Amino acid sequence: MKTIRNLLLLLFLLSSISVFGQDKVEREVGIKQKQVPLEARKWLKDAFETVRKPKWYKEFSELGYSFEAKFKLNGRFHSVEFDSLGKILDVEIELEWEGLSEEVKENLTSHFQGTLQGFKLEKIQIQYSGLPEDLEDFFDEEEIDGVLIQYEIEYQAEDQSEVIRLWEGTFSSEGKFLTQRRIEVREIFNLYF
Amino acid sequence: MRISIFILFFLFVISASKAQNPVFFTGFFPEASITKKLKNENRINFKFENQHVIYDNRSQDLEQLEFRHYRTDLMSFYDWRLNPTKSFALGIFHRFQEGSDANRIIQQFGLLQRLRNLRIAHRFRTDQTFTKGEKIEIRFRYRLALEIPLNGATLDPGEHYLAISNEPIISYQAQDFELENRLIFSLGKLIQNGKRLEWSVDYRTDGYVEKPFRTRLWAKVGYFYSF
Repeated sequence: MKTIRNLLLLLFLLSSISVFGQDKVEREVGIKQKQVPLEARKWLKDAFETVRKPKWYKEFSELGYSFEAKFKLNGRFHSVEFDSLGKILDVEIELEWEGLSEEVKENLTSHFQGTLQGFKLEKIQIQYSGLPEDLEDFFDEEEIDGVLIQYEIEYQAEDQSEVIRLWEGTFSSEGKFLTQRRIEVREIFNLYF
Repeated sequence: MRISIFILFFLFVISASKAQNPVFFTGFFPEASITKKLKNENRINFKFENQHVIYDNRSQDLEQLEFRHYRTDLMSFYDWRLNPTKSFALGIFHRFQEGSDANRIIQQFGLLQRLRNLRIAHRFRTDQTFTKGEKIEIRFRYRLALEIPLNGATLDPGEHYLAISNEPIISYQAQDFELENRLIFSLGKLIQNGKRLEWSVDYRTDGYVEKPFRTRLWAKVGYFYSF
């Protein structure tokens, strides 16, 4: 009996020690607005004047870090990414299928139906990138000069071995396929078993 | 700190239970799970659960804490991956419990919803339990579980998360129905991809139909490893 009790106590202690001794490599953490470079805060305020309290995140990777503001505006989720110095990189906005133009829908449908088996649409985002002043003019005054528009679309489809996987595809402003990469869904065995 | 909170919470529940007639017992509940991903994308899972009682309000000496083995469960599942968010599993189970060793077969369908800031897992289970000297027990279970990252919008390696789940269970045995509920609050850490550690409070109630009403409260620590 004593042996089992000691083993259980040891398990609790070891579990606590192991959890506080790990390194973090790639991750995203929530941060306060004052921790964000002034340039990023200023750009966001100029481009999206009505956004009051965005949620800010700092994203770490092996290459460095970047900042991201997330907020909901006019019923749509926005994600604005800045580099480590606060320079705008891109703006992504979630869309519904109905919100796409007829030309984009036709090209996407042609790609999905023509080349993919087991297709199921998961999420659509329109992505705007360009120079900071061009992007600011686009969101502030709807001037499109110098702004690159692409679509990032998440979908399920079969791979070459007929296994259904999750993908993120990049499409041009007309809905033409450019690239795709596989998304790994984090396992949740702790919730299933 | 966490252990102190657990102890305070347990003492509170123990003192509250003395004033009531329902059966109450509490204790430690370590668990460990290993999952192997196969080349065909399906999985095999092995799980161990152990329950030790430290307080039981039916004991002769209520002032004295005990340390009694209640049950140990071993189980294994074969999980067919249907797509990135759905799977179907079949499992076998053996229970070591004094006078009540049991075998069980399990059928399970799992569905994952990926939302912006959390993930929701739905688990539908049916199982059939065979205990010597008893009629077969058939159960229908549905577990709703939320996983909420505590740092940022997504759970990354090295970060903590909160997991909350609730599972109502309907059982049928010898022409009698019974209800059980399992509510679990967990603080977890994704140590690295494929390795998780969770500390949980697991609150189980049953005896809603066949009295006496019974509550079981477990302090859990779980290790989940997949490769």
